[in-house]
Amino acid sequence: MQTVAHAVIAAAGLGSRLGLGRPKCLVEVAGKPILEYQFDLLAQVPDVRLVVGYMEHEVIDTAFQLRRDITIVRNPAFRTTTTQQSYWLGGLHIEEPCLYLDGDIIFERRTFQTFLSCAEANAPLIGITEAKTEQAVFVAAEPDPRTGFLAVTGFSRTDRSLWEWANIACLPAGLLKENGGDVFTRLSRHLPLRAQPVECFEVDTEADLELAKAYVTRLHGAGTQVAAA
Amino acid sequence: MKPNTAFCFDLDGTVTRREVLPIIAAELGLAEEIGFLTQMTIKGQIPFEMSFRLRCRLLAEIDVATVAKIVEQVPVDPAIAAFLGEHREQCFLVTGNLDVWIARLAARLGCRVFSSTAVVRSDGRLGPLTSVLRKSTPIRELRGQYDRVVVIGEGQNDMPMFEEADIGVAYGGVHAPAREVIENSEYVVAKGETLCRLLLTL
Repeated sequence: MQTVAHAVIAAAGLGSRLGLGRPKCLVEVAGKPILEYQFDLLAQVPDVRLVVGYMEHEVIDTAFQLRRDITIVRNPAFRTTTTQQSYWLGGLHIEEPCLYLDGDIIFERRTFQTFLSCAEANAPLIGITEAKTEQAVFVAAEPDPRTGFLAVTGFSRTDRSLWEWANIACLPAGLLKENGGDVFTRLSRHLPLRAQPVECFEVDTEADLELAKAYVTRLHGAGTQVAAA
Repeated sequence: MKPNTAFCFDLDGTVTRREVLPIIAAELGLAEEIGFLTQMTIKGQIPFEMSFRLRCRLLAEIDVATVAKIVEQVPVDPAIAAFLGEHREQCFLVTGNLDVWIARLAARLGCRVFSSTAVVRSDGRLGPLTSVLRKSTPIRELRGQYDRVVVIGEGQNDMPMFEEADIGVAYGGVHAPAREVIENSEYVVAKGETLCRLLLTL
């Protein structure tokens, strides 16, 4: 089992589709900001880097209240850059594999930990999840008997499939590029990619937020562990 | 960590866990007067250099060696102090404080210093200030000797240093960094250990 020592959370974006007027990582689900769920999941990762942009001072204040030993990385060009730029900035100078995740996702603890335990030093690992969000990037994946994992064979915004890109990946140093396009477009150059399913809810729109809230409430009710339970 | 990188640390409230001048003032019964000047400076009512000169005048009647001993006792962040000791060829203190006051503390930390300077009179008291450091000057000087200059600080008077640096780290280990400093930095950290871990990757 590979222990991931570095994590980069992209939390610079405007969250304009959700339209709550604040960064999505600060949006509360069942009384806690999404960021708190993520920090709880990453408690064992020593080097957590949070990439900030939109309303950076508010995000920085909340982040340090939740976890004092994180490193804030600034992306002042957040209005004109993609998530790949935030990932690239966050992982800059790190010469070991790094976990990358978007700061607007609630992950279920058990599948998240399984994902981490599947990470390997030199091979990318891509998180996929059951397709359900409004603006999904669909993932074509099939079992790879050679590795025992699912293998991603393509990403698409239009070709529907059972899986969508979960916006979480464990990647070797140097794979992401400065001023690149979408992260999944960059990943497409390295197909086929080893994939591991995770259960998660990304909050891009109001409908997504309702799904995430219902999910957390349901898991609390059933006594199952959510990220911060 | 790349070998040809210089690391420039602000002293007050970055390397030291408390601001140096208020400690000196409190020890000498001048806390109120110095505090008033500091507040006026923070609010931008008087320029930093004028404020510093006035604060030095207030402390001018005190034996310089006495002040240096007080400063030597100011608590420092242990992780940062260890980093300075282990990388002394690459580390510099950049402080507006007076060389004669911080000499003992700097010797204890073991790295080179850029500071304001003053003359000590024959009776051991503080003489005239010979220079007030503008923090951009050492960064420009070091640029000739190193490939990159990384700066670490938190206060308004660190701004000239951040404006010249290749990489700026806003440090909130003692108190929250000034917003302007954050907005001119690449990284923000809130603990000495985190700062040193970050610097080692740069």
